[in-house]
Amino acid sequence: MTITTKKSIIGVLGFLFLLSLVFVQWHEVTRRAEEAGLTDTLAVIPDSSKACYDCHKQKTPALVDHWRGSTHAEKGVGCVECHQAERGDADGFDHEGAFIATIVTPRDCSRCHVTEGAEFASSHHAAGGNILASLDNRLAEVVEGARAPFNPHAKSPIPVGTLTQVNGMASVQLGCMQCHGSKVALATTDGGTVTVDDLKPGPDGKPTLTAALAKVQKDQHGRPVLHSSAWPNTGIGRLNLDGSKGSCAACHSRHDFSPRRARQPEACGKCHMGPDHPQKEIFEESKHGIAFRDRMSEMNLDAKHWVLGEDYSAAPTCATCHMSGNKKNGGKVTHDPGERISWTLRPPVSIPMDTDEKHAIVKELDPEKRAALVKDSAEAKRRRMQEVCSHCHTPDYVNGFYKQYDDLVILYNEKYAKPGAAIIAALRKENLLTAPEFDEKVEWTWYLLWHHEGRRARHGASMMGPDYTHWHGMFEVAERWYTEMIPEVRELLEKARHSGKTEAADRVAAIVDGIMSRPEHQWAGPQKN
Amino acid sequence: MSAIGTWWKERCPVPAGQLKELTNEPVPNHLRHWWFCLGGTPAYLFFVQIVTGILLAVYYRPGQAEAWQSVREITDEVAFGWFIRSVHKWGATLMIASVILHQMRIYFTGAYRAPRELNWMVGMLILICTLMTGFTGYSLVYEQLSYWGATVGANIMDNVPFVGAFMKNMLLGGEAYNSHTLSRFFILHAAVLPVVMLLLLVVHITLIRLHGVTEFQFPSDANKPSKTFNFFPDHMLTELMIGLVLMIVLSALATILPATMGPQADPLTTPEIIKPEWFFYVVFRWLKLFSGTAAVLSTGFIVFVMFLWPFIDGWIRRRTKASELSVWIGILAVLAIIGLTVWEAAVAH
Amino acid sequence: MTPDTPRVPDAPDGAGDRRSFLTKSSTLFMAGGLAAGYGTFAHVAGRFLYPAGPRATTWMFVADLAHFADGTSMKYRTPDGARVLITRRGTAEADASFKALGSTCPHLGCQVHWEPQQQRFFCPCHNGAFNPEGVAISGPPKEAAQTLPSFPLKVDKGLLYIEVPAPAGEEV
Repeated sequence: MTITTKKSIIGVLGFLFLLSLVFVQWHEVTRRAEEAGLTDTLAVIPDSSKACYDCHKQKTPALVDHWRGSTHAEKGVGCVECHQAERGDADGFDHEGAFIATIVTPRDCSRCHVTEGAEFASSHHAAGGNILASLDNRLAEVVEGARAPFNPHAKSPIPVGTLTQVNGMASVQLGCMQCHGSKVALATTDGGTVTVDDLKPGPDGKPTLTAALAKVQKDQHGRPVLHSSAWPNTGIGRLNLDGSKGSCAACHSRHDFSPRRARQPEACGKCHMGPDHPQKEIFEESKHGIAFRDRMSEMNLDAKHWVLGEDYSAAPTCATCHMSGNKKNGGKVTHDPGERISWTLRPPVSIPMDTDEKHAIVKELDPEKRAALVKDSAEAKRRRMQEVCSHCHTPDYVNGFYKQYDDLVILYNEKYAKPGAAIIAALRKENLLTAPEFDEKVEWTWYLLWHHEGRRARHGASMMGPDYTHWHGMFEVAERWYTEMIPEVRELLEKARHSGKTEAADRVAAIVDGIMSRPEHQWAGPQKN
Repeated sequence: MSAIGTWWKERCPVPAGQLKELTNEPVPNHLRHWWFCLGGTPAYLFFVQIVTGILLAVYYRPGQAEAWQSVREITDEVAFGWFIRSVHKWGATLMIASVILHQMRIYFTGAYRAPRELNWMVGMLILICTLMTGFTGYSLVYEQLSYWGATVGANIMDNVPFVGAFMKNMLLGGEAYNSHTLSRFFILHAAVLPVVMLLLLVVHITLIRLHGVTEFQFPSDANKPSKTFNFFPDHMLTELMIGLVLMIVLSALATILPATMGPQADPLTTPEIIKPEWFFYVVFRWLKLFSGTAAVLSTGFIVFVMFLWPFIDGWIRRRTKASELSVWIGILAVLAIIGLTVWEAAVAH
Repeated sequence: MTPDTPRVPDAPDGAGDRRSFLTKSSTLFMAGGLAAGYGTFAHVAGRFLYPAGPRATTWMFVADLAHFADGTSMKYRTPDGARVLITRRGTAEADASFKALGSTCPHLGCQVHWEPQQQRFFCPCHNGAFNPEGVAISGPPKEAAQTLPSFPLKVDKGLLYIEVPAPAGEEV
């Protein structure tokens, strides 16, 4: 080897050494960045909340610890920032030098989380409170309990002396309202309540009618008393005193407001479970849930950005498909879970989620008028969901699934739901059912058929839960239909004939027979009427 | 230029010709073969260790309360701290490996034979110093394994008859690992041993220069017009190349396999598995084969034999005609060393 | 192993212009490579030795702009305890409408306050005064050419944030 060659090799090696040090430098930079991410978790107590912190650290240490672990704490958003109220707010009060309110509403959160607030406000979630006092809620308010308090009837070991009234709404308050949301109420000195209806808050959330506030009961510290019928409550459609709807804490539990928790099925499962809509159980039964349970540790649940296909790919959760961002939609999160749902599986008969500008489902049948009304079509919604699916599945697979899903919903619709609804409607039209709901057996039967079993079948199909589609779903729908609904209707018609309503009974019987002679029902044999 | 040159020559009257001659000793042709440069490699790595060692000493704080913490700071907080520490660690590994390879090369080529017996012994001393530096250096991290490794090492020393207890007390600064121990290790590692090694290196190289390098004739060099080539610049460039390759290898190793940190030393809990650094595996396994004093004495005896090997070898060569005996003994020794090391590495206890 | 190895220490490395050019350029290349490699290593060593820079900073939420009227100021305490006075000097929802100055006088550590009629920060201890930008205009701080420390601010979606040294240690 000549000297010249050696020198050249040394030159090359020198630059390779430089290159390896560049590699070292790159390593150093990434390490620093990672470290910065790790050390970010220190809590910062803003000056504004120092006093709250010092006192509540003693009084409610765990609550304060939850906050300390939150992103809010990291960013310097303390107690006052969220709990602050303005003079004139119905539930505001002076507390150790700060004017605050107990309940933090979506209006408060929206001061910073603007987009999230707007999306949530237009979602079906925010409208969850509308069920209260509606016909739908009759079951809990009247059948299970009683709308008015009543007297206790028998002596019991409970301190009877203190028990003067039974709260007939207890089931509503602890059942319905804890998911659907309560109507937040202030207690008044005369035993009544003041709610958003009495205050008519303006766009700024301040009451326009203040007369009712004069009667509001105050405790020894001068705080307005929140009525126990409606608070504590974190129902997703809570009707707040400032006119806003809902509660962000329904999914983002206070006081750590953990995104991690909202991303997991358990957050949704507080409400989306049970006999009438077992979404969480269906998810757990599905391949999606199986994968999630297995690969939970790879879900990157703590990530600041949680985008499917970028930050995690192990498995989907409820949030993944219905709310969270994904690689193909540019990481856009939505706080309106309805944006990706193409069928409504809630009512007796499923209809496509063509929605108008107010996010209400368009029921118009005339094609032209319908087209004018629809602002966001079921098809567009379905495309958004398919975008999520397509991170893991091929177009053929996704389209194939949707065909299977549509087929089941349509089967249920056409074989049971529409006929069932027609029979009940005919019975009502002919006055063969009494006005009150749930006082006749067939009313319970029909309710169980669509509200419980029919939904289970459809939900099972929508989220790939075979057992819920079949055994807990269509099987029970069929059993209910053939062994209860139809026999009960025929029995009812027989009674009607005996009591002289022959013509009315015959008209309904014609409908029932028409339905039962259809090819899909023919197997059940010759008609008995 | 020449004015400055003249000024300089007046102030520093070194005879240029002699200097040139001194630094430019002709290098035998066999040194063109890479494996004959293994002596230069540890020397270069020694220099790297000094540079990175000085850098690390800037942040290191000897003392039971702070040692581990300061190493953690170096690793996690100081800019490029992890890199300097990793280069130091890998430098040590490569240095020990290259010293051993160098020694093996010397051994199997018989370069230790008369009149170079003394230089072999100096080399043995350098080897011992290198191992001791590795031992004390690892202990400075003060993590669980290095703490217990040091404890076990000191207690092994205790088994040496007559002087064992004295040596252990000298090393640890007490009957057992105590608050003085780490500063002793630090002084040994960062001052005493490097200086001793530097002095030994000077002696080592001076002896080489005085004797000249053992020359070997390779068939490929047979038709060369000269038996030697120039140290400067020719051989110097080779050494530069080796240096750069070593730097690249060190940087890559440091980045890909950076020095890690175990949990802080806990004198109350012995880890379930104790392993010394890899270069002590062979001794560690050997000591497990025998017990107490026998193990220590046999180890000492082996080192003693290695130390005096040139004379023993000479004695054997004079007595027998089997001139290749040393090669066979060497092969057996190397196989034994590799076997014991692999054995120790493969099993937990 | 080419036979052109010089035998004599001082023999020229090559002969002819082309050769000499090759020799020179290879020497230059070698020098460049060595300087690049070891130079970068020296730089790394230098970075290692140089004390770590100022602590990492973090952006902290201060207020939403709706609650921070033009012409008013608010007190803020950074995580490490430094007192800061943040003033709003414009209606625009832009960074430039806000100014955050440390309210501790660099002279002897008293708290300065804003005097709107004089348009200055005033330190009552030794009559030090600072202009709205925090530059000393009279008193001992002026003689020492001191300024009030300034903190970067940013407005994002109607919220005001301040950049302050990140908190250290477990408790704050």
